[in-house]
Amino acid sequence: MSAPAGLSPVQAAREAARRERWREPTVGLRLVLLLAWALLPLTAPSFQTLDLALKIALFATLAASFDVVIGYTGIVSFGHAMFFGFGAYAVALAVGKLGAPTYGHVLLGFLVGMAVSATVAIVIGAFSLRVKALFFAMITLAFAEFALILAVQWSALTGGEDGLSPKLPGVFAAGASGPFGLSGRLVTYYTVLAVCLGCFLMMRRFVHSPLGRTLQAIRDNELRAEALGYRTFVFQLVASSFGSVVATVLGGCYTLWVRYVNPESALGIPIMLDVLLMVIIGGIGTLYGGIVGAAVLLTARTLLPNLRGLGATMFSGSEILQRLSERWLLYFGILFILVVFFFPRGVLGTLREVAARRRRGAAPEG
Amino acid sequence: MRRVLPFAVGAALLLLLPLAAIEPRAWLTLTVAGLAMGMLIFLVASGLTLIFGLMDVLNFAHGALFSWGAYAGFTVAVAINGRWGWAASPSIWLNAGLLMLAVAAAVAVAFTLGVVLERVIVRPVYGQHLFQILITLGATIVLEELIRIAWGPNDQVMPVPVTFRGSWDVADVVILRFPVIAIALGVSVYAGMWWLLHRTRVGLIVRAGVENNEMVQVMGHDIRRYFTAVFAAGSGLAGVGGLMWGMFSQSVRPSMGGEQLIFAFIVVIIGGLGSVTGSLVGALLVGLSYNYVAYLVPKAAIGVTMAIMVLVLLVRPTGLYGTGK
Repeated sequence: MSAPAGLSPVQAAREAARRERWREPTVGLRLVLLLAWALLPLTAPSFQTLDLALKIALFATLAASFDVVIGYTGIVSFGHAMFFGFGAYAVALAVGKLGAPTYGHVLLGFLVGMAVSATVAIVIGAFSLRVKALFFAMITLAFAEFALILAVQWSALTGGEDGLSPKLPGVFAAGASGPFGLSGRLVTYYTVLAVCLGCFLMMRRFVHSPLGRTLQAIRDNELRAEALGYRTFVFQLVASSFGSVVATVLGGCYTLWVRYVNPESALGIPIMLDVLLMVIIGGIGTLYGGIVGAAVLLTARTLLPNLRGLGATMFSGSEILQRLSERWLLYFGILFILVVFFFPRGVLGTLREVAARRRRGAAPEG
Repeated sequence: MRRVLPFAVGAALLLLLPLAAIEPRAWLTLTVAGLAMGMLIFLVASGLTLIFGLMDVLNFAHGALFSWGAYAGFTVAVAINGRWGWAASPSIWLNAGLLMLAVAAAVAVAFTLGVVLERVIVRPVYGQHLFQILITLGATIVLEELIRIAWGPNDQVMPVPVTFRGSWDVADVVILRFPVIAIALGVSVYAGMWWLLHRTRVGLIVRAGVENNEMVQVMGHDIRRYFTAVFAAGSGLAGVGGLMWGMFSQSVRPSMGGEQLIFAFIVVIIGGLGSVTGSLVGALLVGLSYNYVAYLVPKAAIGVTMAIMVLVLLVRPTGLYGTGK
């Protein structure tokens, strides 16, 4: 296929992608997945199932926002959970500390959180993106640790280790009922789901935009992109800020759903590790990989406590064996190393590679 | 020598500045504690920076090796103390013997783990930064969990030999004993490293490797062997750092390495990646300012190290002694 006259190669590629959009093989799969999330509450599941489904959606989107930074831009940041925590705390503080809660406070929390995140992301990026890429990982890790310590120490504002459990307004409040006979819980479910979907579509748009293509060029060969006249620093700054702000929005949603924030569940290094694991398991640089990663990790985590009970009864004699069955994080660590070694592209990346190879095999190039 | 003068002046100023706000006796105590803390961080940071400088590997598993060193030394110390009571004995020689054996165990375990890590996990991913970070992070998770399985998840009390406990009163100034030992150890490690790097053939090759490792290979040296050696030596240093830190804080816990790794990172960034002297300066800077600020405004202590890092990066993006590699 030759590009029509007057179109740059990039424009031609975008035209082609646009034409193919509804003919992609997995478009049906994506719609079914979305439908499953939307219809799940109608099957009247237990709260645990509903909670798991929404958390998968939430963390899949969070993993995707991290993927925008690490997979599409090639910036290794360990501060992503910190931005998630900013959102969670901003909403919790705005609702909990400014008098009787209203929807306005929720909105204010989101806006303030986003503003703070954008500022912090730009400040961190401004002095650490200019230096060696590896610095960024260390500096963001240091900042994340700092934010965690701040949240624990500044207990007058953040509630310290105990965290905050704000009273939420209107339909978000505990035991509230919403319109059309829906329970408040369900309205919250759909609200958060809609926000996740919106964020996801926005990120999809972002990585497929000309800006996103430039980012991928920078990731693949920074010197070359620079030589082509792109100010790589500005692009990287925009991408990391964008990912951070999305993470903040999701953090706010987390507070709406869980109604509780503490340093460990919203800010800590463990959250960061989780998100990293999700991205790696699902496939780095695939955006949708986050869904696979979040589903695997969160389902395993929900089911594993049951296994722990099993381990306690099976190995009641030996303390070491009991501990071996308790420390499931160990197995995640091993799984993580194996995935990085043998499936560096993750589940989705590997599947895509196989599919691409088969397609090429079916239509031999000639 | 041009470089030494501004450093000496800066160090003197930094040491004397807090005197404006802190009374002299407390200042002396804090300075000793700060130097000790700095030296302990230096042990961790120097290994980290050498590994990075030579191999271009950012080793996130360094903190886990720190913890393993601490636990190995802890096990030996507990075993010896349990059987012969060396820690409780008033004899300096038995006390020192206990410390030596614990240090030896820490080094041996961390060194061995370092060799294994380099051979199995790090070697396949040379040159791929993202995967190095990911894989060493995975190794950290596994190593930390193994500690929790082997020794249990809770804090444990480290037996500290009697001689090194408590403090000396020198003209009304309280000087804790253990920090003095830590400072002596740190100084001797720095001196040893300096001698090894600048006065021996091995050091020459390692330094050349940091500068341009392809050229060193062309000259006929098997740089991979040096990689393994440097990685293992760095791990050994992390192990000693872990043990000393465990004695300093009189306890060991599985997550201790991760916490110290943050400090080590900050120190390496301040000092400049690949520079051992930079690590020393950075570590002392962090150790001293942390202690002064913790005395004056306890809650700002962590913030001050971050502030130093940000300041240094703004003025010199490659760190104080960085080459900008």
